[in-house]
Amino acid sequence: MSMTPEAEEHRTARAASPVPAGQDAPRAGTATGTVRTATGAASRPGRDGRRLLATHRDRLLSVLSPLALLLLWELLVRAGLLDARFFPPPTQVAGRFVEMVADGSLGQHVGISLLRVVLGFAAGAIPAIILGLTMGLFPLVRALLEPIVAALYPIPKIALLPLLLMVFGVGETFKIVTIALGCFTLVLVNTVAGVVNIDRIYVDVARNFGASRLDFYRTVAWPGALPMIFAGLKLGMGVSLLLIVAAEMIGARSGLGYLIWNSYQVWDMAAMYIGLVLLAFFGYLFTMALNELERIVLPWRSR
Amino acid sequence: MAAQPKIRIRGLVKQFETRRGTVTALDGIDLDVQEGEFACLVGPSGCGKTTLLRILAGLEQPTAGSIEVARGDPSRPLQAMVFQEQSVFPWMTVRRNIGYGLAMRRVPRAERERIVARYLRLVGLERFADAYPHQLSGGMKQRVSVARAFATDPEILLMDEPFAALDEQNKLLLAEELVRIWEGTRKTVLYVTHSIDEAIHLADRIVVFTASPGRLKAHFPVPIPRPRDLGTIRAHPAYPSIYQQVWKALRDEVLAARRRDEGAVAAGRR
Repeated sequence: MSMTPEAEEHRTARAASPVPAGQDAPRAGTATGTVRTATGAASRPGRDGRRLLATHRDRLLSVLSPLALLLLWELLVRAGLLDARFFPPPTQVAGRFVEMVADGSLGQHVGISLLRVVLGFAAGAIPAIILGLTMGLFPLVRALLEPIVAALYPIPKIALLPLLLMVFGVGETFKIVTIALGCFTLVLVNTVAGVVNIDRIYVDVARNFGASRLDFYRTVAWPGALPMIFAGLKLGMGVSLLLIVAAEMIGARSGLGYLIWNSYQVWDMAAMYIGLVLLAFFGYLFTMALNELERIVLPWRSR
Repeated sequence: MAAQPKIRIRGLVKQFETRRGTVTALDGIDLDVQEGEFACLVGPSGCGKTTLLRILAGLEQPTAGSIEVARGDPSRPLQAMVFQEQSVFPWMTVRRNIGYGLAMRRVPRAERERIVARYLRLVGLERFADAYPHQLSGGMKQRVSVARAFATDPEILLMDEPFAALDEQNKLLLAEELVRIWEGTRKTVLYVTHSIDEAIHLADRIVVFTASPGRLKAHFPVPIPRPRDLGTIRAHPAYPSIYQQVWKALRDEVLAARRRDEGAVAAGRR
């Protein structure tokens, strides 16, 4: 077996990449006092260093730009160019933040919202994965349920809020069911698609090697559908945040959605911005968590 | 070779129902393959070679006809197939891919690991045992696919243009490796290819198909002794005449297939 594996070729190709001809020549002649060996390799640390500096610079810029925006906001309000009633300056929002953390009200809002999202997400996603796999694997079940799913899927779940409010009242069930419904359809549709679109060849391989039905589910259907299931979970997570805010705005006395709506009604704009920033923060956190989970569960995906 | 053949195919017919009516892919195939024979199936595109392999692999049901296989050791699997397209499971490491057939046969873990290690070595992928397919080149993936089929030690090996997607040099290398592994096992092989050269390199016998619907047109034994050296095989005195004979038989069929395709295109345009 003398074939050079491609992966290795790439590696060697990179290691042996010649230093661009013009790069070293002029500098080697200058009187900077830099000691240089004759090999081109000597210039590599310098070039790597520059690349490292570049990434540091990019990272620094991506931190600086939002800070600059906040600073601009602060200055514009202080200069009287922005109306502080609508756009309280960041320092004031920060002050309100400390206050709300200290009196425990913010922790309460955040805690209850997170609990609702997690419960609703799980209550929607887990049955959706199970039903989705069943629909994907059994054409009969799929034929039976597909029209219903197709009819429910396009309804914006916010439109169901009055109905759900009627059925469940304003209690916790209402919020959890709302989120669960929103996640359910998204995860379900993606899971079904994941199973149905598994490449035909993998089904053939499993059959050719005498895989039992259970073997097939375990070794082909489930891992083959997982990437699409994850896509569904990510969409479901986004919709969960949307729905928790909507549900808490119309039927709650706590949570981030309530905080935002109530702050608007009592004209506590700083508190409203805190709600918005926290939503952005948790949206980001959830996305990162799902991405990380995906990286662990699906190490075989090329990226 | 008067003994009972390993595979005896009689009057095999396969028809597919399509929207435009019934299409006959195989139209009465009679074929005997001897135990330990390496048979290459050659024919124009769409002549049903792959269909024949898929029927033998248990992936399609024949419409009519019979297939008898003389079982040797019933504890071994009857057959395993190497597919033309990328068929290595992307969600399994190389090691688990090669061991897949063994796992499906409930081979105990320790023995499975021993066999997998042996085939990892045979196809030269020891260092990539725990890599995922997306980290491998096309040729490496096909080596995994070949190892996966050999690992279950099937009585019959079905190979459907396994190296067709590779470049010429890699194709030659893999053919060399296949010959080397096969000469150590002497399994019965049915190997579909488009390449006459590849068929002569590998086969004990070349079976030429007609254009669709597929029938058998001719058989050509390849009397080049083994072990074969693919580097010098073209210099063998029998090589040119075998090539000419096979091409002569094949050429008319390729032309017939072309006329059929052109007819279909013209009909589609109308």
